[in-house]
Amino acid sequence: MSKVSRRTFLKGSAVLGALAGIGGTASSFKKIKPAKAAGKKKQVFSSCPRNCYDTCSIVTTVEDGTIKFVTGNMNNTYTNGRLCVKGYTYPNYVYSPDRIKYPMRQKERGSGKWERISWDEAYDIIAKKILEIKKEYGTTLPIALNKYSGNFNVLNNAVEGMLSSWGYTTRAQGTPCWPAGIDSQTFDFGAAVANDPEVMVKAKYLIVWGANPAWTSVHSMSIIERAKENGTKIVVIDPIMTDTASKADEYIGIKASTDGALALGMAKYILDHNLHDMEWMKKNSIGYEEYLNYLRNNITVEWASEKTGVPVEVIERLAREYAAAKPAAIWLGYGLQRHTNGGASVRAIDALAAMTGNIGVAGGGANYAQTECYGFNYAVQSAGTPPEGDKAGGDRMLNMNNFPAQVLAINNDPEQIPIKMLWVACRNPIAQDPEASVSYKAFESIDFIVTADLWFNETVKQSDIVLPVSSIFETWGLTASYWHYWVNVNEPAIEPLYESKSDLEIAMGISKRLNELEPGSCTYPTDRSIEEWISNELADDFIKKFGFKTWRDILEKGTAKVEGYEAAWSDGKFRTPSGKYEFLSETCAANGHHALPVYVEEMEVPKDRPIRLFSPHWKYGLHSQFQNLEWMRSIHNEPFVEIHPALAKKKGIEDGDMVRVESEVGYVEVKAKITHTVPKDAVVIYEAWYKEQNFNANFLLKATPSDMGSYATGQAGLAFHDQFVTVEKI
Amino acid sequence: MAKKQKRYAFLINLERCIGCNACTVSCKSFYDLHPSINRRFVRETSELLTGTPKRNYISTSCNHCDRPACATACPTGAYIKLDNGIVKHNQDRCIGCRMCATACPYGVPQFDPVKKKMDKCDMCVDRLEAGEQPICVVSCPLEAIAIVDLNEIDESQVVADLPGFADSSITGSSTRFILPKGTTVVRGGIKSWNTL
Repeated sequence: MSKVSRRTFLKGSAVLGALAGIGGTASSFKKIKPAKAAGKKKQVFSSCPRNCYDTCSIVTTVEDGTIKFVTGNMNNTYTNGRLCVKGYTYPNYVYSPDRIKYPMRQKERGSGKWERISWDEAYDIIAKKILEIKKEYGTTLPIALNKYSGNFNVLNNAVEGMLSSWGYTTRAQGTPCWPAGIDSQTFDFGAAVANDPEVMVKAKYLIVWGANPAWTSVHSMSIIERAKENGTKIVVIDPIMTDTASKADEYIGIKASTDGALALGMAKYILDHNLHDMEWMKKNSIGYEEYLNYLRNNITVEWASEKTGVPVEVIERLAREYAAAKPAAIWLGYGLQRHTNGGASVRAIDALAAMTGNIGVAGGGANYAQTECYGFNYAVQSAGTPPEGDKAGGDRMLNMNNFPAQVLAINNDPEQIPIKMLWVACRNPIAQDPEASVSYKAFESIDFIVTADLWFNETVKQSDIVLPVSSIFETWGLTASYWHYWVNVNEPAIEPLYESKSDLEIAMGISKRLNELEPGSCTYPTDRSIEEWISNELADDFIKKFGFKTWRDILEKGTAKVEGYEAAWSDGKFRTPSGKYEFLSETCAANGHHALPVYVEEMEVPKDRPIRLFSPHWKYGLHSQFQNLEWMRSIHNEPFVEIHPALAKKKGIEDGDMVRVESEVGYVEVKAKITHTVPKDAVVIYEAWYKEQNFNANFLLKATPSDMGSYATGQAGLAFHDQFVTVEKI
Repeated sequence: MAKKQKRYAFLINLERCIGCNACTVSCKSFYDLHPSINRRFVRETSELLTGTPKRNYISTSCNHCDRPACATACPTGAYIKLDNGIVKHNQDRCIGCRMCATACPYGVPQFDPVKKKMDKCDMCVDRLEAGEQPICVVSCPLEAIAIVDLNEIDESQVVADLPGFADSSITGSSTRFILPKGTTVVRGGIKSWNTL
């Protein structure tokens, strides 16, 4: 927990915000002019704002004011006119009877006894509470915000701006997703900048390392299939034989959390056989001698084999193939860095790509993520500045990855300014935070909780007030990707349903009421239209990148590409202190890690809980979204745990049996699915929110931090995959 | 010479199919089907389909059979086999008796609880006639579904039968599959993995 100035916060949150984009098909879904006179059918561009690699540009067909169909925008060559299964559910999402329709107040949390209130009442209750807190404490620090990636529309950063416009507040900072790897790439390259994934087809050899695009990035999976058909060898390294691994030429079932050892073992072989690119290293890097000496003195392929469970001859062959293929690409997934040594693993893999000269090459790269498309002004956020006189002098930052425990620590400590009010937006923390049982206690310790959402989810159920949020189809938006290089615009397709409002409208509404009650108590502007706000987001220099004259030019195709990233770092201008690729990073050392990409021992498996738990993404949902929808439920509606036949046999578990999975912090009861695709010493439960089912994988997860993340994202990440359990038949 | 009549059929490339059900949902959306009705079905199939264990799926819809059991069973003649191979269901004639669902070896026809009639895929015949591809074909993010002409296709490159899929000879299923390729599996140094 730390206090930071407003300035530091904005800087930090800019990085966080940046986390926040058959032939016949073209003609059938080409945008037709929104014909006001010629009929009642129109097509508009929408943009999927979910936290997803693919961040699709969507064409939405509207008839008589009703959304009839959504499909991919052909103008966006990454979206390629096609959506994923989640995207196709949007009409069901918009018109779901389960949507929250009105502002509501719950008589007692968890009771389900909701009463409809008006927006005026809601604003009044909330504004009075804010003023009451401010009066009592001389600061709004007792108000906390927990918001993240449920909606990455840039206009949703209004929520952060809204809280700042009240005063200094307490914030859930950081990101559960990718922080350790972001730190690693920041130490190595100066920033995470991946090659444009559309040129992945140019790779002669592609290692997908700890990513499952078949479920989480279907458009990249399509590119991988095309590459494979062109002769690219696809190797997938993962502890789980995922759907992506099932499509690979070769699958390497690595022991979890030992990815760094495999990368170092391969690098050692490459060095010993003089297959490395000394010229590239001399020209573009610092610390390579130290790195190569580390390999010479500390690493053997036999050691790497022992660590990873991958046979020596396989490591040698992978190393030979990877070094010989020019170019060879590595896609580093977020899974491999969700460990106590995850940041170190990413650095070791980066180094492997660098020592073979695969950096700055189209079809090469150590591709993790990019934030180059986030050229927004963040005007919705910076519009809110704390009014004069807040004695706190800065926001109080809590780690999003251990938010409930940190809230409780504050509220149990009489020396600290307590957290009295919580605002939740774009997030379902009870479903997504580790140690779900602690989440409930943390919520109990807070007097007043407001959640803005579309669904009566677990977090809403523990709130006092719920505000109905409109879907993206009912408002404006702008979304950028952290993977491909497109920025998508979102035009309103229909009028807001029921009494729903966007988060930005809510920010303005509360500001208005606050200033009515106490003039000057809130700085958030109330006089701008949503369209004005969106025009403020597209800075002049940003739209020039696209060759646009005005921001409205993006409405022509619904999407625009930031060019020039076929081969990230090809200019050799790294953003590190030295301006070079840093095999040896003083910055990394100064942040409490090793300067070199050395092996960091993996977490020890506890003897009493010897089974590793993975809780990765689910194909029919994105975190707590989508799986609750009726269309999705018609395909699948039952959580399960994947168990290897050998483990199942040992435990007397048969396919379909109910089992109890128990960790140090909780348990879940779930149906067993027997499959050869998971390791014998691990089980897999896919995290998701199932409507009206008593299931939450996060009851099992302990808030164990990953090694890195705090340098670039403000807070350490979470070791989601260093979780250990017992499994027993019920 | 008269142009040879086309025999349309679905060709599913299982090497590309990731089992995501985008086909199922886009179809449901486009035709505004009752939420409980799926005109496409994606099922997990044997992990041992290609030898070493991996995740495999079969995506099918109506198989537009040469000898459609639905048509034989239907007491009102609601099913017709078109010259172009498509088995079309006429909901106006349907009385919702579900005889077709019982007869179909693939369990394809589904009962619409609102219309009280059966429902199944017609291969987007209206779209095909307008020169457009079916919705599942244009929606699949992996481009794993295609429409082929069985009079033109090289049958040696495809199969009509798969484990877990009723014998195509029963009703003359027209669906063809491209089989998935095997994946070399290296797992924890255990070479005899598939014997576990």
